[in-house]
Amino acid sequence: MPTAVVLAAGPTYVLVPPSGNPPSRFPRSHRPLTGERGAARVEREPTPPALAAAVDALAPSLRVAAGSAAVRAALSAQCRRSVALANAEELRFAREQAPWPEADEEREFALDSAEAAVTSALRSPVEVLISLAREEERLERTLEREARASESFIAVEASPLADYAVSWARSRSQLAAHHGTLAELLEREARRTLPNLSALVGPRVAGRLLARAGGLAGLGRLRAPRLQLLGSRRRPSAERGPRFGVIYRADRMEEVPADRRAAYARSLAALASIAARADATTHANLAPILVARRDRRVSDLQRRRR
Amino acid sequence: MRAPRPARPSPRSPRLLERTYGDRTELWTETVGEPPAVYGERWAEVGGRTLREFDPHRAKLSAALVRGWEGPLPGPGERWLYLGAASGTTASHVADLVGPSGRVYAVERSVRPFAQLLGLSERWPNLLPVLTDARDLDSYSDLVPPVDGVYSDIAQPDQVEILRAAAEAFLWSGRGSILLALKASSIGRDSTPAAHAARAEESLQGAFDLAPTVKLDPFHRAHFLLGGSRGGGPRHRPPAKPRPSRSRGR
Repeated sequence: MPTAVVLAAGPTYVLVPPSGNPPSRFPRSHRPLTGERGAARVEREPTPPALAAAVDALAPSLRVAAGSAAVRAALSAQCRRSVALANAEELRFAREQAPWPEADEEREFALDSAEAAVTSALRSPVEVLISLAREEERLERTLEREARASESFIAVEASPLADYAVSWARSRSQLAAHHGTLAELLEREARRTLPNLSALVGPRVAGRLLARAGGLAGLGRLRAPRLQLLGSRRRPSAERGPRFGVIYRADRMEEVPADRRAAYARSLAALASIAARADATTHANLAPILVARRDRRVSDLQRRRR
Repeated sequence: MRAPRPARPSPRSPRLLERTYGDRTELWTETVGEPPAVYGERWAEVGGRTLREFDPHRAKLSAALVRGWEGPLPGPGERWLYLGAASGTTASHVADLVGPSGRVYAVERSVRPFAQLLGLSERWPNLLPVLTDARDLDSYSDLVPPVDGVYSDIAQPDQVEILRAAAEAFLWSGRGSILLALKASSIGRDSTPAAHAARAEESLQGAFDLAPTVKLDPFHRAHFLLGGSRGGGPRHRPPAKPRPSRSRGR
């Protein structure tokens, strides 16, 4: 059965009639919403009226097929005739017949779409939390390094070194204040995005775990042993691998005797993987149960010293 | 700055140049984009052309050329689909190879590298970035026209299948080239890297006339470059000149 195929090709729609006839182009307008840089999405005109009219004007004996589900939905909404989905053969033929938009047009459309996709992705709470967690970790490292350096710096009195030491201390405390605000923001975001995990291991560690896992879906799929080692620097090995990653900084870790911390890390990772899964999927509030089990484990470990 | 050395066009591509320092041969591509450097590579003005060093330690395609790759390469004026462009280290060189009249459609899934790629594409007029999963062909079929070649560098267990599906959907019917930078350790550790490469070759052999696979050691461990053409695509031809010697070999 002869088929006419409608395709989206960058900023245009193309109607490719069965072999022999030339395809026709229908530009669709698009504009990035909310300014050029901060585009949240690209608004596209669903179907140009001229295209709908052209499709309706096709001979009734022709089958009309769309190149993708999105085009089919847009077209079905505006046309009076039924629109099928093109099969692989029809799609290949139509794609090779279709005139592709001019380089400038194509580029502008591609960059607008990419810009909008990046902005909306980076604006999502999960990506914001990942950015904050990375930034907080970096700043914390900087502060530690500066503090260490300042300890070994000898400022002799009544010399330019003394003045320098004072101004250095001032900038360190400014940096610490900046870190404090950042950490506060991070904790707030983490409590909102990862309520269960934040309650269990602490919001900062929750944020770091998310950053290391690369995303909420990935974090939710992690098994406990992997979660325990997220952020560890040593290579896992059969004999003596790492026992902690970022989880070493989790809440209540310091209250556990040093020789029982690995045991605590294992138990905590098991609970944390449950919490992460809940945060990623069901959003159930498991925090009270998990925290109670964590606290019981801590007191067990404190009592039963080896 | 070092005194400019003469750069001679490589027999493989007019936009790929070789510069010889003693027994060491460096690869350079003639740039389409503007400075600054993309990943810290060196730039040079030689004979009125602006060149960028194509570092085999950073780009698997360059490593393959150093190791004597005889298969297809992106040629001037061609349209290539690049899967797994990351922040654009190699993608920028592929864009250089296709030149201002060609196009590279660079697909990348993760946001942060993609943001860098987007910044890069503002300086490289022939590089068009697409933020999506390369497995989801429908999501980019309206942004990518039929292409002359598909380059894939995706460290995933199903990297061979992703390339096959994309080649099927995006190459011109009956012609075109593929290049696959295979990372054996992403497929699994159940067999040796060479066995993974052999299996990938077997899976691609039916549809394409494959060139001899090259191993990318020592630049990239347990990596291979596979590829070939079909139909009227640029077929692999034996190099007219002796192979470039391994530069900076360890």
